Amino acid sequence: MTYLWPSHVRAERVWRELRDIGLALLMVAMTTVVAWALIRYFDLRRGSFIYLVPVLLAGWHLGRLPAMVAAVTGVLWSGYFFYAPFYNYFVARPAEILNFALFMAVALVTSHLANSMKRQTELARKRENQMSGLYAFSRRLAAAPTAADIYRAIEEHLATLVQRKVVLFGPGDSGVEVPDVPEPVRTAVASIQRGSTVSTTVEDGNGDIWLVRRVSQRTPDFGEIAIDLGSVGAVSDIRTRVEEALSDAAATLERLDVAHALNEAKMRSETELLREALIGSVSHELRTPLSAILGAATVLRRSPAIEQNERLRSLTGVVRDEAERLNNDIQNLLDATRISRHQIKPQLEWIEPVDIVNSALERRRRRLADHNVALDMDSNLPFIYVDPVLVQQAFVQIVDNAAKYSPGGSTIKVSAKRNGHNVVLSVGDHGGGITVEEQAQLGERFFRGPRLAASTSGSGLGLWIAKAFVGANGGRIHAASPGANQGSTVSILLPFAPEGNQPETAPDE
Amino acid sequence: MNESSPIVLVVDDEVQIRRFLRAGLELDGFVVQDAETGNDALKSVTLKQPDLVILDLGLPDMDGGDVLERLRSWSTVPLIVLSVRSNEAEKVRLLESGADDYVVKPFGMAELLARAHAAMRRQVRASTGEPIVKAGPLAIDLAARIVTLNGARVILTPKEYKLLQILAQHAGNVVTHQYLLKEVWGSPHVHDTHYLRIFVRKLRQKIEQDPTQPTILLTELGIGYRLANPEAGQPVVN
Repeated sequence: MTYLWPSHVRAERVWRELRDIGLALLMVAMTTVVAWALIRYFDLRRGSFIYLVPVLLAGWHLGRLPAMVAAVTGVLWSGYFFYAPFYNYFVARPAEILNFALFMAVALVTSHLANSMKRQTELARKRENQMSGLYAFSRRLAAAPTAADIYRAIEEHLATLVQRKVVLFGPGDSGVEVPDVPEPVRTAVASIQRGSTVSTTVEDGNGDIWLVRRVSQRTPDFGEIAIDLGSVGAVSDIRTRVEEALSDAAATLERLDVAHALNEAKMRSETELLREALIGSVSHELRTPLSAILGAATVLRRSPAIEQNERLRSLTGVVRDEAERLNNDIQNLLDATRISRHQIKPQLEWIEPVDIVNSALERRRRRLADHNVALDMDSNLPFIYVDPVLVQQAFVQIVDNAAKYSPGGSTIKVSAKRNGHNVVLSVGDHGGGITVEEQAQLGERFFRGPRLAASTSGSGLGLWIAKAFVGANGGRIHAASPGANQGSTVSILLPFAPEGNQPETAPDE
Repeated sequence: MNESSPIVLVVDDEVQIRRFLRAGLELDGFVVQDAETGNDALKSVTLKQPDLVILDLGLPDMDGGDVLERLRSWSTVPLIVLSVRSNEAEKVRLLESGADDYVVKPFGMAELLARAHAAMRRQVRASTGEPIVKAGPLAIDLAARIVTLNGARVILTPKEYKLLQILAQHAGNVVTHQYLLKEVWGSPHVHDTHYLRIFVRKLRQKIEQDPTQPTILLTELGIGYRLANPEAGQPVVN
């Protein structure tokens, strides 16, 4: 099949040339019609230059051979019409011979000019494509967060360069999935990875030859590459081209410092994994003793000896409350880990918005005991389709912040309202408020306003978690404050389905 | 039930947890038996005939859920599950396989006792045939099928009554969405949670003083509903 490929191309080229010659003759014929009309109606006898038009056109658009054909036929026709003896193709007079030479020269020069210009344009376009490809590649490299992403970018870059099926193998621990390639290719890759050779060719059992080699001859950092060169006949030609493209690519990879980027990405992901594993196991280990501490404190409170002693009783309250706070901090760490691992999968169901607020307040009843909670909730809110547990946890974070940053005895206003296409659950306090500068960073991971960070404890995770949980449910969080120490209102906005899409009435029979 | 003091079987492999549970339960008048493993637990339920089982899910020899299923194949003893997993699907699964209620670790003693007493009362009601269940100002007469609020008759539709009836039978304990839907609307509707939302809203308008701050018909997000603790009528304070 590949063997027939050149002759097939040659036949096509001959066919195109013949078509172009036909076109040139057609142009000459049309010119002749015009010349005939000029002579017939205007009795014009000095117009042989008119035959330069098809020669020029053919030279510019169709190439050398059609232009020469146009020149010859043009000279013959101009001799027929414009030189005595008229209406005779015979070419003999010096003027006619000069004419012939001129036509030929025009044909040759025009077609040559057109040709070289076409080549220039082609070259410029190719270079531009290469540049923009390279630019896109380097931008992709810069943005790739993991080693696997970088390898994927390299693979695609190489594939466009060599115009062949390309499979890239990252070094063992790169996180790149093991690609699906024929067994002999896999074996060859393994032998290169062991370092026994840097480049080899194998036959894959289906008649295709694969070039298998390190992407760069100098370093194993960029992994190994396997390229399907096609079947036997065409291989050596393509192989040279591919090797050239690869050495270019390897030079580019080195210039862009891809090895460095790869190492960075690998280190990042390893640190992240380690940190998350640590957080996970530490949290679980802490939970059990905490359960014992909190449980024991609540038992102590009920024992007759302590129940009657107000001082001791309040101490057991301290143990209980602090254990509970520690537990919340652990829960926040676990939630943060779940969020950064993209493990938040909302379990959507229809829910009464008021239930979310009540359940959150119930969970924070003791924490809010020192505050005056003012409730303002609509009894006929539209149902919303969310994961109620996630939204409740987000609301708890907001309630926590209000309780933490506003003085005891002050009023915390909790409301559930309908606003436009949203159900809005808000918590308004008379606490530290939010300044314009703080507003910009609010909800970032680990951000705590410097004004209040010293006087209150916290991890800076709460609002970040709330944002992630609400976002996972298609909602958003809005914070408003008149300024420092003037309180703030933080709201969860959750879109609800329009009337027609609210849940149908349940059967009552 | 034991004439003098009720017997409780605590199944947990953590000695610290067992110790505080023992102290707290004894303070409340229980006689406490321990089991550290699932097999121990199954044996103890047969031998000691406890009035209540408190079962931790993280056991060394077998999954707490398996213990629950095996136990439920022959015993209806009131059973509360202790879970560290705040995973709603897991809780629902345990409730569906027969746990009367659950508490999530860490928990306060008062919360556990409230759940336990509610589960035990259900057992007593079933054996004595006591028809009236009270929750705050609400009284449900299961025999006469009459609901009164502060003594005044409340008119309910048949489905509303059925819903309230099931919650009353489990008063103080959580009842899952699936169970309620199956009992009230039938098996094909076990996933139509919105039926419950609509009906609970209607019911609250009839029985709650302020439907936006319910004190009788309480929501357990992601799990189900709970009729407020019959005696207390007030939230539990640790």
